[in-house]
Amino acid sequence: MKTSLSFHKVIVGLLVIYLVIPLAATLLFSVAGKWDHTILPESFTMKWYIELFHDERFYGALQHTLFLIFVTVGLGVVIMLPTIFIITVYFSKWEGWLQTVAMLPYGIPPIVGAVGLIKVYSNGPLPITGTPWILVGAYFITILPFMYQGIRNSLRTVNAVQLVDAAELLGATKFQAFRTVVFPNIISGILVSTLLSVALLFSEFAFANLLVGGRFETIQIYLADKLNSSGHLTSAIVITYYSIILLVTGTVLKLTFKKDKVPSPSSKKRSVFFINKPFRQKNTALEGENS
Amino acid sequence: MSYVTIDQVTKGYHHQVVLENISLTLKKGEFATLLGQSGCGKSTLLRSIAGLEDVDSGSIFIDGKDITHISPRQREVGMVFQSYALFPNMNVFDNIAYGLKMKKAKNIKTRVTKMIELVDLVGKEQSYPHQLSGGQQQRVALARALVMEPKVLLLDEPLSALDAKIRKNLQKELRRIQKELEITTIFVTHDQEEAMTMSDRIFVMNKGKIVQSGSPVEIYTSPVNTFVAKFIGNYNVLSMEVFHKLVHSTELNGKEIAIRPEVLQIVSANEGHLGLHDNWGIKGLVKDVSMTGNVLRYEVETEGAAFLVDNLHHKGKMFEQGAQVQIFVPKKECIIL
Ligand SMILES: Nc1ncnc2c1ncn2[C@@H]1O[C@H](COP(=O)(O)OP(=O)(O)OP(=O)(O)O)[C@@H](O)[C@H]1O
Ligand SMILES: [Mg+2]
Repeated sequence: MKTSLSFHKVIVGLLVIYLVIPLAATLLFSVAGKWDHTILPESFTMKWYIELFHDERFYGALQHTLFLIFVTVGLGVVIMLPTIFIITVYFSKWEGWLQTVAMLPYGIPPIVGAVGLIKVYSNGPLPITGTPWILVGAYFITILPFMYQGIRNSLRTVNAVQLVDAAELLGATKFQAFRTVVFPNIISGILVSTLLSVALLFSEFAFANLLVGGRFETIQIYLADKLNSSGHLTSAIVITYYSIILLVTGTVLKLTFKKDKVPSPSSKKRSVFFINKPFRQKNTALEGENS
Repeated sequence: MSYVTIDQVTKGYHHQVVLENISLTLKKGEFATLLGQSGCGKSTLLRSIAGLEDVDSGSIFIDGKDITHISPRQREVGMVFQSYALFPNMNVFDNIAYGLKMKKAKNIKTRVTKMIELVDLVGKEQSYPHQLSGGQQQRVALARALVMEPKVLLLDEPLSALDAKIRKNLQKELRRIQKELEITTIFVTHDQEEAMTMSDRIFVMNKGKIVQSGSPVEIYTSPVNTFVAKFIGNYNVLSMEVFHKLVHSTELNGKEIAIRPEVLQIVSANEGHLGLHDNWGIKGLVKDVSMTGNVLRYEVETEGAAFLVDNLHHKGKMFEQGAQVQIFVPKKECIIL
């Protein structure tokens, strides 16, 4: 019993070290002055951050990314929530189709998707290649699986069909039923999906680079561009970008658990798990980018 | 004049018939039970009455009004679901007040408070469903339906998730409330004992059909077929051929014969005969004995058939497994099916 417990602790400890070291090193590098022959930097400086925060391009890129995320995720929720609700509650026989459609993006690598999109949207009735709108479209598809899974699972967990039945028998219209007894119970699920989508889009590079590139610079494009100039500056960008995500995550998490009047232990665990995942993915990505 | 009329209702899912020509009528204030095995269509019938399922054909009337094709919210029917379906985001008070708020009713506070007293939940108004026990949740669900003063109350196995003792209490409670409000009620269960203790009338269902209806006593003492006999009272059902051989007599005729276990008398094999003219004696061997408190249940193997025999548990009168015995079958208790 005891040995197995300490064994677990060691494993968890190693994992934490594995995940935190690259981040800590990046942080250190972003505030390092001269760092050549020593284990720790010889001097510290904030000049990389100052340089970064004085760069108009950085703000522009951040704005672009936030705009894309806001529009895409907003669109995702507004379109997918009613769709999934109506299909699971009233047309359950079509659920299989919706699931297939929602899962399709998994099967198409971004590069292949991007090439196709460029071909279709370069001319013809809708020439939007090179504009942010094609990115909105592509991103919508990218987050579809997360939106779908998250919303559908929440609906199942709260047994939405039966809640609607009960509300209708008590005199509610279908819309009232959705607004008063389904929506308040799935907010946390929606927030988790949203969060996952935000994190995913924040670090999206392939579509942004191929479809729009420098014409609508996102934070990832900016990062890739700066990679060639200074390692210190890149580290500063990464840390800043990480802090923003952390802030968003923390806020949403707090909101989720405050509003969530029925904190079922399972749903709590699930959301924490979901939120950890994108971080972990990012950690490894950062590692690669810095080396 | 009947208050609820179901007229030849039929319903199927992809070519599988779930309800077949169901017809029944209920008087106002009656407590009726749909009794049947799992999957026989009880919930489907209840949901059809509530309007949560469309019927393929047939019609449903409540209080003289054809409600077959109107939406659930206009039917004035209340329902308690097997899993309660309480609204997790609302406390007890708001759950119960929900329907009244939707109807923009007056005196919501007084009506809800009165209902909370009726179902004995005073002090729990501010609790959320997940903070309540199963029995309490069930009461909330009941109150939520009753506060709307529905014309008909539908209960889909509302007690099946509760343990035996709470269940017994709630059966009484439910019946008390139902009588107090004189509300016409359709109760669904697959537990024959529950049906017997609670109902004014029982409708026994099998494979989407109503096979027998009547008062609990009628159903219990005169089952119309083998299914009801076996389902309702552990009847011993024998083919007439076997029975003739066992009793060496062809006095009774028919296809099958049903005998309740508690009318059989069990005595040791060499004991004298017991009013030969009114009884048949059958020799047998005790295969198994089990005790359910005050009743001893014997499984007696005879030539060609096994009998269940229930006798009251008297001191010093108990046959061991393997004992040679004789069972007496009272002639007038034999039911021909
Ligand atoms: N939505 C559905 N789609 C297809 N078949 C269904 C559906 N709902 C019920 N059925 C079928 O209808 C039959 C009757 O179901 P129903 O739920 O009415 O049974 P029940 O008598 O209430 O059983 P239980 O005691 O287990 O609740 C079952 O065979 C079931 O498989
Ligand atoms: Mg059922």
